[in-house]
Amino acid sequence: MARWFDRRPSGGHGQRPERAERAKLRIGIPKVLNVWTTHQLWLGFFASLGIPGNRVVFSSDTSEEQGREFGSGRGTVDCCYPVKCISGHYGELVFGQKRKIDILFSPMIYSMPSFLHGHVADSLACPRVMAAPENIKSGFLKEKDVFAEQGIRYVAPLVSLVDPLQVPKQLFIAFEGVLPGLRFEEVREAVDQGYRTLAAFDRELRSRSRRILEWCAREQRPCVMVLARPYHMDAGIGHEIEADLQAHGYPILWMQYFPTDPDLLDWMFGPDIREGYAKSVFDISDVWPSSYSANTNEILWGAKAAARVPWVTCAIRLTSYECGMDQPTFTPVQQIVERSGTLFFSFQELDSTKPAGSVKIRVETIAHYLQRSSRAVMERKAAAMPAGCPLLEKPACRAGGTATADGD
Amino acid sequence: MATSPQQQHYRAYTPRPLTRSEIGNVEILYGGLHWRAENVMQAVFENLGYKARPLPVATRDDLLLGRELADIGQCCPTSFTTGNLASFLREEGKRIGPEAVADRYVYVTAGACGACRFGQYHQSYELALRNIGLESFRVFLVDQNRMDQGALKGGGLEVNIPLTLGMVWAILCTDAVQSLEYRTRPYEVVAGQTDKAVRESVEHLCEVFRNRPPKGEKWGPLAWHLTTTYFTKALREVHRRFEAIEVDRLQVKPVVKITGEFYLQTVEGDPNYNIHSWLESEGAEVYPAPIVVWLDYWIRFYVQELEDRVGTDRAARAKIWALKGLQAVFRGVYERMRKALGGIPHEIPDQYELRRLAAPYFHHRLSGGEGDMLIGKALWAHVHNKAHMVCELSPYSCMPNTMSIGAMAGVVGQHPDLLYAPIEVKGDAEVHALSRCQMVLTEAKRRAIREYVSVMEKTGLDPDSVRRVLDRNPAMRRATYRVPHLGVAGTAANTMLHVAGRRLRMAA
Repeated sequence: MARWFDRRPSGGHGQRPERAERAKLRIGIPKVLNVWTTHQLWLGFFASLGIPGNRVVFSSDTSEEQGREFGSGRGTVDCCYPVKCISGHYGELVFGQKRKIDILFSPMIYSMPSFLHGHVADSLACPRVMAAPENIKSGFLKEKDVFAEQGIRYVAPLVSLVDPLQVPKQLFIAFEGVLPGLRFEEVREAVDQGYRTLAAFDRELRSRSRRILEWCAREQRPCVMVLARPYHMDAGIGHEIEADLQAHGYPILWMQYFPTDPDLLDWMFGPDIREGYAKSVFDISDVWPSSYSANTNEILWGAKAAARVPWVTCAIRLTSYECGMDQPTFTPVQQIVERSGTLFFSFQELDSTKPAGSVKIRVETIAHYLQRSSRAVMERKAAAMPAGCPLLEKPACRAGGTATADGD
Repeated sequence: MATSPQQQHYRAYTPRPLTRSEIGNVEILYGGLHWRAENVMQAVFENLGYKARPLPVATRDDLLLGRELADIGQCCPTSFTTGNLASFLREEGKRIGPEAVADRYVYVTAGACGACRFGQYHQSYELALRNIGLESFRVFLVDQNRMDQGALKGGGLEVNIPLTLGMVWAILCTDAVQSLEYRTRPYEVVAGQTDKAVRESVEHLCEVFRNRPPKGEKWGPLAWHLTTTYFTKALREVHRRFEAIEVDRLQVKPVVKITGEFYLQTVEGDPNYNIHSWLESEGAEVYPAPIVVWLDYWIRFYVQELEDRVGTDRAARAKIWALKGLQAVFRGVYERMRKALGGIPHEIPDQYELRRLAAPYFHHRLSGGEGDMLIGKALWAHVHNKAHMVCELSPYSCMPNTMSIGAMAGVVGQHPDLLYAPIEVKGDAEVHALSRCQMVLTEAKRRAIREYVSVMEKTGLDPDSVRRVLDRNPAMRRATYRVPHLGVAGTAANTMLHVAGRRLRMAA
């Protein structure tokens, strides 16, 4: 994840004096929750407005030390750790910067730009996740306005990222009077730039996942799919369990960045569509009728994908303690994966402390099963799939290219 | 790659169809509201030719069964409702056999609530049913946001305008009755009179709803429900039954406003530690949470969504006006019902005021559960002196509710005199929850007394002189006499101010 939050240079603006003023601002963004899959949108957005990437500060990965040093006494309620830990991220940005930030930007992401949108009921964020900034903010306001005291503007707009038409208005209202000389047209352009940046990033990662799968198919090697929420990529929340597995020699795929090339998905889900179980390659109504939550939808879809690709011989489920979104999906996800003969292991109730001993034992157990069963799993799954797997074709002959299904 | 028989992949549960030919032999189960609304809803089903029955009120045993049968980590309303359904069906299974249970009963529940877990309860039901060997039992989800959904799978049950309007009107009527009941019982002179009047009133309303005249399928029933005096007449009959109850409103009692997660604030029983009756037994007047406020909120929810689309959707403004018009009509209907009960039931707060009050602490578009309403309602009760204390019932592990409780830290920081008791309800930690509530209630009682004393000082009246006035005016000692809200929270304090005002008017 070292390059995950890399900054990109700003665009070719910077002629107007207010843009020069903006370029001096430092913006802090808590690296939490759905920022893990939307960070490139924000970098593209700010770059387009004249705030270069090197003026955008993301907080560190979550850690217990961060919480103790910067978040202590700021908590307002007991809930899941991915939300609770945000107090530490806010505190680090407010108190822990050598060069002070001017704006603390903590978007309330109401809906997500999911690749499944249009095929599901909705693409909403979890109710806790979308409301987290309001909750955490109150810990910095209940006695005195810490942001004002530190000379920081707190900006937390509600953004409906699944609906790009609404976003410019939401962000313009939030930043008007905060960013000098801001015009609505500029914001609209910046939002477009943000989506383009995010799409390019997603495309690149999906194409890398495809290359991994092609290698696995060519070499008849197994790989592991991680079914988790975006913030489990945070070393302090997912506890790098997938990295421990990777150290045993198994490539890791994150469900969020599974390739969505039409040729591959047609091969994977064609039989379901022909038999009338699904309307499209992105339809999950056959396994999950209440498809309102974007991340839940993607986990369910990821489980379906894991169940169909022969070289994904194991799926790892990560869930945080008290996650109300994951709870109803425990059985369906496990059933989807296991019915296909794919190995399934679940790390439930992850919390602030990494249970290093038990994780080590479980990772060794998983590695043992992977070594023992992968070949048989691959053969069994391959036998159940149609002929003509595009992963086994030469890349130059690939039918669908790397275009993502959402039209990028 | 050789081909072979295809993999049998996992598929989600889908209920067998419920056909028209079955409908005479199938009983529709439902639940999750307070008993008054559930009973009248039964009459609505019967009015349309269905057999229906509310599930019994969930118990602590149901909670334990729900936890046992479904995936771990459920919020407590999921455990209660899952266990409640499973427990009923299991007992019926023992009596008539599982096959007969699967054939003779179906369960109907709301199944659309955005990303909150409420919209996913069916997954727990499905798992629990499978675990008790009733996987062929039929659970049907209805969309809580649409009035006319047509026939459910198989065509046996139609969620159409007459059914939906019947349900909504049942809620409106019983909410008004519940409010009248809670304003009466704490002050009744003869214990038990209120309960008797409520039971009789609900029976009367059942009869009224059972005999609701058919008015067609779409616009006919809508026009009739909006214009008829059929329901207000029924409520005037309820008013007449309450007239016989003598009350002593000079008892100083703290008013406790109940808010919280929808299920916990609505039901009356083990799921919320019987908090309504417990508070009354501790000497409080309970200000219950009417379901009608939730329905009003849903209209605001859609208005807000459209407000964000102004500028990108040409029709947005027109839709907003249409929805606001619908909201005004809806509130007007409830207002008529309140008036039929002498104006005594509590008014419903203006949704846009709730939004304005909550805005500094919680964004109005944040959805799931009650959204910004918990903060708005707590502040509304506080700034308008509607209650001495707010008791918020928060289910263990409820996703949206924990967020508004967290934001309430900011509210309490800026309104330190707001008496706020957030109670986490796990279902099996009653002593802890009630003792926590009792601590805040003790302070609420002190406030009620201080408020009463300050009214005595302000008016120059004392309880004896007020009592003499009330004795001379027997109508004022009736449960149906309306004491207006005069800027203080307590009923005794308002009564004293009201008497003082009458004396002044008479002197003038």
